[in-house]
Amino acid sequence: MKKDLLLGLVVLLILAAFLLTTDFQTVDQFYLTHMEDITPDSDTVTVAIVCGEAVKNPGRLDETLLERLPEDGVILPETTYVLRPGDTVLDLLIRTARYNRIPLEYQGAGANVLGTAYVQGIGYLYEFSCGTGSGWVYSVNGVFPGCGCSEYALSPGDRVVWQYTCDFGRDVGALQEGGGS
Amino acid sequence: MNAFSKVHPGVASVYFLGILLFSMFVMNPVLELLTLLGGLLFCSSLPGDKKGLGGYFGMILIMALVNPLFSHNGVTPLFFMNGNAVTLEALAYGAAMGVMLGGVLLWCRSFSLLMTSEKLVYLVGRGCPKLAVVLSSALRYVPMLKRQARRVERAQRAAGLFGPDNRADRLRASLRVWAVLVSWSLENGVETARSMAARGYGLRGRTNYGNVSFTLRDGVLLGVVAALSGGVLAGLLAGELAFSWYPALVWREPGPLGAGSYVCFGALALLPVCLEWEERIRWNYSRSKI
Repeated sequence: MKKDLLLGLVVLLILAAFLLTTDFQTVDQFYLTHMEDITPDSDTVTVAIVCGEAVKNPGRLDETLLERLPEDGVILPETTYVLRPGDTVLDLLIRTARYNRIPLEYQGAGANVLGTAYVQGIGYLYEFSCGTGSGWVYSVNGVFPGCGCSEYALSPGDRVVWQYTCDFGRDVGALQEGGGS
Repeated sequence: MNAFSKVHPGVASVYFLGILLFSMFVMNPVLELLTLLGGLLFCSSLPGDKKGLGGYFGMILIMALVNPLFSHNGVTPLFFMNGNAVTLEALAYGAAMGVMLGGVLLWCRSFSLLMTSEKLVYLVGRGCPKLAVVLSSALRYVPMLKRQARRVERAQRAAGLFGPDNRADRLRASLRVWAVLVSWSLENGVETARSMAARGYGLRGRTNYGNVSFTLRDGVLLGVVAALSGGVLAGLLAGELAFSWYPALVWREPGPLGAGSYVCFGALALLPVCLEWEERIRWNYSRSKI
């Protein structure tokens, strides 16, 4: 009987630990974020999110998904934001997606075998949504860096573009191994 | 004795295969629910233990709750957990997966209750006798282990090793029973192989005897199963059974063909129950004539 109580206590403790370490937020709470105002002396970067290649191949996409993609393939037009010190490409993406209410799903650096963050989906458009060679890649100032987006630290004036490729990065101008997303 | 157990094993296998393939490869909520309903009715009409049937609903609930933890896609976020959306779509997809899994397990359970090893050996024995032996010994294995586990437990209890007054001790005792079972089953495997070799298994010229025959009734049943499956397949190929889960739940309004497909699948899933009812009506009718 005593051991039964002990077992129940352990289960309760695990449950309590789970509830205490989990952060629950309502939808409005989550999207209620603040972006710094741009002043003349603040460092800025620009970010854009486009999925033109996916929209060009509507036959490969799911019908329900296609309805929710912008017709011109621009999920977020080039927008300027304040660069916080130490910002990586991923930090910036998380902040902008949250500010613009764009759903974002990614694996943190510790959650996959790559050892770096991997963006799975932006705005309902996921990896493999448009064929086996499809997924998100990023470029900075027109160059596709060969490293993960959580390792690339931005400098002032950088222009980040997130592009959806349907062909291992070839269709957006990234080399096959250069598309570190 | 169930009405379906008198059906020719070949026809029964085709039927089970059809139901399982449709429910596993077509993720449509109506089809999944019909599979679950048919499986539940079928399983409860069969002789055997009915205590475990409630556990399937617990499994459906767990699947529905676990899926949103791994899948965050969907246009209707309910709330956010550690920065990840818990969406209605993921919840619905998890529930559908649970219903599908529960339905498939129930049908497999009915299959193993109905298709005795004798029937299976009859089915595959002529084409591939080795497979037949492997199948029948594999199917025999689980019930045999259960029986032996009960025997070991009783022996341990008699020896005073089982302290059943709290859960932790019971768990430890079960682990001991498990360890005993593993070594026993290894030994049993060797003994079975020796014994079968001694009885001449694997020699040329062995024959077998199966007490089954393909009757007119089986022929009619096969025709019905084929026609209903064809109806479901027609709707499936026309895309009428398509259902979108991500990013939004979109139900495709079924046209006449789609509606016909749903009716066909419903009839297919409830076929064993209908057979059982027919049997009962027939029995009461002949009794009333006496």
